Amino acid sequence: MSSSEHRDQTANSNAATSQGHQLLMMLFKAGQGFLPLLAAIVVLLVVFSLWVPQGRFLRFDNLVDLAQQIAVNAILAFGLTLVILIGGIDLSVGAVVAVAGVVSVSLLTPAGPVGGLLSGIAAGVLFGLFNGLFAARTAMPPFIVTLATMLMARGFALGFNESRPLPISEQQHLFLALGNERWWGWLPMPVILMFVVLIFSAILLHSTRFGQHLFAIGGNREAARLAGITIATHEVLVYVFCGACAGLAGIIHAAQLYSAEPAAGQGYELNAIAAVVLGGTSFSGGVGSIPGTLLGAIIIGILDKGLNQAGVHFSLQYMVKGGVILAAVWYDVSRRRLSR
Amino acid sequence: MEQLSAFSVHKGPTMRLHTLLFLAVASIFWAGCRSAESPSSGGDHLFGVSFQTMNNPFFVELNEGLKGVIEARGGRLVTLDAQWNSLKQKNDVADLLQQSPAAVFINPVNWEGIKGTLMEARRKQVPVIIVDAPVSEPDLVLCQVASDNFEAGRLACESLAKVNPNAKIVVLHLSVNRACIDRVEGFKAEMAKHPGLKILDTQEGKGSTEGARPVMRDLLGRFPDLDAVFPINDPSALGAISAIEAAGRTGQVTVVTVDGSREGALALQVGKLHATVAQFPREIGRIAAEKAYDHLQGKPVEKDIKIPVKLITRDNVHEILQSDKK
Repeated sequence: MSSSEHRDQTANSNAATSQGHQLLMMLFKAGQGFLPLLAAIVVLLVVFSLWVPQGRFLRFDNLVDLAQQIAVNAILAFGLTLVILIGGIDLSVGAVVAVAGVVSVSLLTPAGPVGGLLSGIAAGVLFGLFNGLFAARTAMPPFIVTLATMLMARGFALGFNESRPLPISEQQHLFLALGNERWWGWLPMPVILMFVVLIFSAILLHSTRFGQHLFAIGGNREAARLAGITIATHEVLVYVFCGACAGLAGIIHAAQLYSAEPAAGQGYELNAIAAVVLGGTSFSGGVGSIPGTLLGAIIIGILDKGLNQAGVHFSLQYMVKGGVILAAVWYDVSRRRLSR
Repeated sequence: MEQLSAFSVHKGPTMRLHTLLFLAVASIFWAGCRSAESPSSGGDHLFGVSFQTMNNPFFVELNEGLKGVIEARGGRLVTLDAQWNSLKQKNDVADLLQQSPAAVFINPVNWEGIKGTLMEARRKQVPVIIVDAPVSEPDLVLCQVASDNFEAGRLACESLAKVNPNAKIVVLHLSVNRACIDRVEGFKAEMAKHPGLKILDTQEGKGSTEGARPVMRDLLGRFPDLDAVFPINDPSALGAISAIEAAGRTGQVTVVTVDGSREGALALQVGKLHATVAQFPREIGRIAAEKAYDHLQGKPVEKDIKIPVKLITRDNVHEILQSDKK
């Protein structure tokens, strides 16, 4: 294995221009970085397969359910990964989930399913643009900017329909399918959408010049500026992407619940941030990956589902979840300090 | 061979991880085989309940009612808190349904949003009993068990009409909540019998003490002749009382409400509250669990079960305070 790795490295330096090869190398190297996360997932699977009565945890349809249940959080977390990677934060994603839901559902009848879908994503993009412009063009910290937009977005959503949920009519098959359709009778549509966003954001971050610039900005802002990277533009685009992800998540959320709720998504930003951080993205920026975030979201999903099915009291569930996040990030941080 | 040893020296920690992974995968297979062998144990039933929130003594009591019946019959109840999050509720119930429960009890966060969950339960042939809140698709559930909220509103109005047949009333509503809508409808239905009663205004009191207080202060300022208020639950009644005291109009405004909580009973005892209509959450839970067992034994179950409510005034307030001591 070590010799083949060595050969790969030489091959890589010989044909450094081959982007496909670079991607392969990146995946290989990253794969090793993910071992602790993969091990954690396997350990959790073992624990719950023994703990949940009658071995129901590892049954196929339960695992498909698991994938469906992490979809919304994972999509939010992919967008947030880029934001956190450049040293930013977006607290507004949960509220944008609600805004996108109510906007798209209220426009479903006049604008049709495609119009509703696009308007929901557009709402997310607009909030992202707002966040990005303020974060990039003013001296305000993104924590404060997005805290403010979180409140504004929540207020906007609550202003709809006197804060009551907006039902989606049965006739909107196409829109409802986004949350409930199962391809070939088993693969849920939200899972497919999650993989689309996963692939798109992984390519964007890990094999484009834009992505390289993001790592540079997160690693050392000043050096990136001196290297001629237009930081403000990159920052705005990253927040816009995060907003678009939140918009899509909001639409899936509404479709799954057959209604858009103005109160939806409260606290989702925290769950998404937990997935990003578990996935190895550094809060100080410059380190992180999209596949890591997926694994982080999977860990949170397994914990939620497993503790539910093991019949653990909900008060204890919070404590276990908090403990696991703390332990995982602690391990990750100390491992990184050792390898430095 | 040389390569191998170099590998293990160089990659010690990774190697250990590989071993760990291998052991883990092996034990998954072992667990899988083991579970395939053991047949599912019948007899003792598993039940699940998902509440919109557990941050309310009402639902804690309701849960106790369910648990009492189920545990007495050798079953097991898993209680989940949706924290006002419809998607969490959907996921929580999906997790329950995977375990083939005998029945699930749901107290929906959002009566529209629960539809997908109800269809999933139907697909898995698990009966659903809705507790303390109606849903928009009654056909998808086995039955609904709730307080008779219409009657509660009616009783509150009746007791007000007895002391002040010409009351000028304001209503502190929580219009997102179906139960509260029913209370106000019951109140208005009874008003038709008392032509002297008049509603000056209806405002959102948010169903909470903090929400009701400022709204009530504004209303007291706007209507100098206001002499009665119907806040739809005890917490908002406490908010209204605090606003009345702050405005110096104690004793001039009659407060009637619905809930029958301990806090409400204490306010009643000192005369700040005229009447509250008690609900019996523990009874709702008990009846819901018994209906589930009835259904499992093949007995027919009524669709819409209303749990009686009881008017509480100074004459019988000791009943509430005593029952709480237990």
